Amino acid sequence: MKSVWVFLVLALLLGCTQKTEHSGFRFGLASAPITLDPRFATDATSTRMNRLLYQRLVEFDVDMQPIPGIATWQRLTDQHYRFFLNRNALFHNQQTLTMADVKATYESVLDPKIGSPHRASLSMITSMTIMDEKTLDFHLHHKDLMFPGRLLLGILPKEQLLNEHVFNRQPIGSGSFQFKAWPESGKLLLERRRDGALFEFLKVKDPTVRVLKMMRRELDMIQNDLQPELVAYLLEKEKLQVSTIGGTRFSYLGFNIEDPVVGQEKVRKAIAYALDRETIIKYVFGGAATLANAILKPDHWAGASNIPGYIYDPAAARRFLQDAGYSSTNRPSVEYKTSSDPFRIRLATIVQQQLAEVGIDVILKTYDWGTFYGDIKAGRFQMFSLSWVGIKNPDIFRYAFHSASIPPAGANRGRFDDQQADQFIDLADQASTQKEQAEYYARLQYYLWQHLPYIPLWYEDNVFISQPDIKGYTLAQDGNYDGLEQVYRLN
Amino acid sequence: MLKFFSIGIIVLWALLALTGSLLPLHPNEIELNKILAPPEPGAWLGYDDLGRPVLDRLIMGAQTSFLVALWVVSLSLVVGTMVGTFSAYTGGWVDHFIVRIIDILLAFPGILLAIALAGILGPGIDNVIIALSVVGWVGFARLSRAQVLSLKHREHVQAAVALGVGRFKIIRVHLIPLITAPLIVESTFAVAGVIISEAGLSYLGLGVQPPEASWGSMIRDGTRYMLVAPHMVIAPGLVLMMIVLSVNLMGDRARDWLDVRSR
Repeated sequence: MKSVWVFLVLALLLGCTQKTEHSGFRFGLASAPITLDPRFATDATSTRMNRLLYQRLVEFDVDMQPIPGIATWQRLTDQHYRFFLNRNALFHNQQTLTMADVKATYESVLDPKIGSPHRASLSMITSMTIMDEKTLDFHLHHKDLMFPGRLLLGILPKEQLLNEHVFNRQPIGSGSFQFKAWPESGKLLLERRRDGALFEFLKVKDPTVRVLKMMRRELDMIQNDLQPELVAYLLEKEKLQVSTIGGTRFSYLGFNIEDPVVGQEKVRKAIAYALDRETIIKYVFGGAATLANAILKPDHWAGASNIPGYIYDPAAARRFLQDAGYSSTNRPSVEYKTSSDPFRIRLATIVQQQLAEVGIDVILKTYDWGTFYGDIKAGRFQMFSLSWVGIKNPDIFRYAFHSASIPPAGANRGRFDDQQADQFIDLADQASTQKEQAEYYARLQYYLWQHLPYIPLWYEDNVFISQPDIKGYTLAQDGNYDGLEQVYRLN
Repeated sequence: MLKFFSIGIIVLWALLALTGSLLPLHPNEIELNKILAPPEPGAWLGYDDLGRPVLDRLIMGAQTSFLVALWVVSLSLVVGTMVGTFSAYTGGWVDHFIVRIIDILLAFPGILLAIALAGILGPGIDNVIIALSVVGWVGFARLSRAQVLSLKHREHVQAAVALGVGRFKIIRVHLIPLITAPLIVESTFAVAGVIISEAGLSYLGLGVQPPEASWGSMIRDGTRYMLVAPHMVIAPGLVLMMIVLSVNLMGDRARDWLDVRSR
């Protein structure tokens, strides 16, 4: 009997200390996906997972130009596009993907009863006509040069759509990865179709724990959401691989234009000149970010390369404050709201000090994400910081700056109401060529830089860290996980 | 030895809290080129994740915890004692009603209620004081009620009643002085609880707001750098532990000293 107890205790102890062996790949996530139904996915992790599970009609190249995904297209008239399936795709249940599935997917999104958050961006579609199994015509209300770039939804099978299949938990796509299991919110198991390799996506919220799991080889790969100090530590202590690529995540300071203090352009300019963004990027990001002067990067087809940017100049900041009627005895006071994410608080504290140095008192208010985002949408703020993630189309300008996009109609949260900006956005929409459109967007971005409804801060880099035996991963600018299609382990 | 240790720590804490603002400290001065830098003259505990001296922030954190403890315990003591004494002395349905409220508040986890209140009122040190006081008065009320229930039938109280002395004068002159000793002991333990609660709320981001220092927010910031800069967690964690331990030790000693039967 005694020996049985000894054996049990030893077995327990060994069970506690031995590392779990596994044959597949383990990918650490800071947040779990919320839904695996592309019609409802809006958060970054869900969108990235859905890219693995589903295929899309259209993709984007490195210049953010739309390129064929599973379909090519022709513009027959300004309001009539024809799409052709360019490959024989199979859903995970072995059904063939046809244009009937494409039509059913888009009809589902456009159905108001479904309540898809993507419906507004596709509202220009009046009808779809199936010409044959591989050809589908889209008819639009009005001219939209960017229309192909809006067809980014993962295609779902028609039969299951009609049967109201729960794609959220049991996705059936035609992507390079197939759903295996989702036993708990923080653990998703996918199988790569070409070789049957298993990929486990594990939510590990705390960056320190993610690092520890990498050190113990409980994770094979992690991407982003890691302080540069921890990246440096990992590289020093372990023989891990790290790769970095410039990202498109755009961070900015937003203002309530209706506010008597920050509603003044001179005060916003003072703030722009008071920020030493280069030093912040150097020390806080460890260089893993790029200065931003507009939402779109200059190498985007609609980007503006002629924006000089606000260089750190405290004297200029004080001058603008003085012009706005403030002095050392009459300092402006600004309430700055941010989320309670420790990294965002860290950045906000630096901004607070830099503004204090030129004579602007900043009261920091940190809130949990729900409260913070609710306040921003409701316009209950003077100044806030946020990021735009995964911006590919320049229609973000209509969404964020047009006077018709004040919430709840859009995301003009700062209540920026400017006729000239509206005109640039409308002219870009009505342009007959992409070149002409790009010119209007460039002029708009210059105008926004002059008037500062946002103060652009930086584009954060994407960082990928993997075990030494993991090879073949390619980082994407938008931080997607498409590189997992080619990843392999050295034997 | 332990007695002097705990008294010394508490005196030092109070001194730093009261004189911290007069010292040449730079707790909020950000020097980005010194992020997580090791100790050096002038910054004997190194720098934090924003290049601020950890020692200076510890001292200002002492001020935060001291002020919160002082306010919360004072408010709780006054309100709790008044409610408990009044309830016990009045008796009847008033006592029943107050006891039910006390029971409900005691049944609800105190820190959870404080988190909910701080969440509703919004972050900030003033709201933390309100939230912790709303939770804190209950202990004092229960203690003072229990004490008054056993005291109000004593001869000197009965004599005062027979002589026609007013209710509030009896409470003030004949009852409160007799329950002071247990209330003092309760206060010391409450101080320790408040320090921990304030640190907890600040850890959750509901306490003092950046850039002001609090031991709880320092620990929160430090946990993200435990691997690269453990001093950011160890320093405030140790200080917090030493203060709470000292306050508890002092509470134990006060109880022994005030209890005439154990002398």
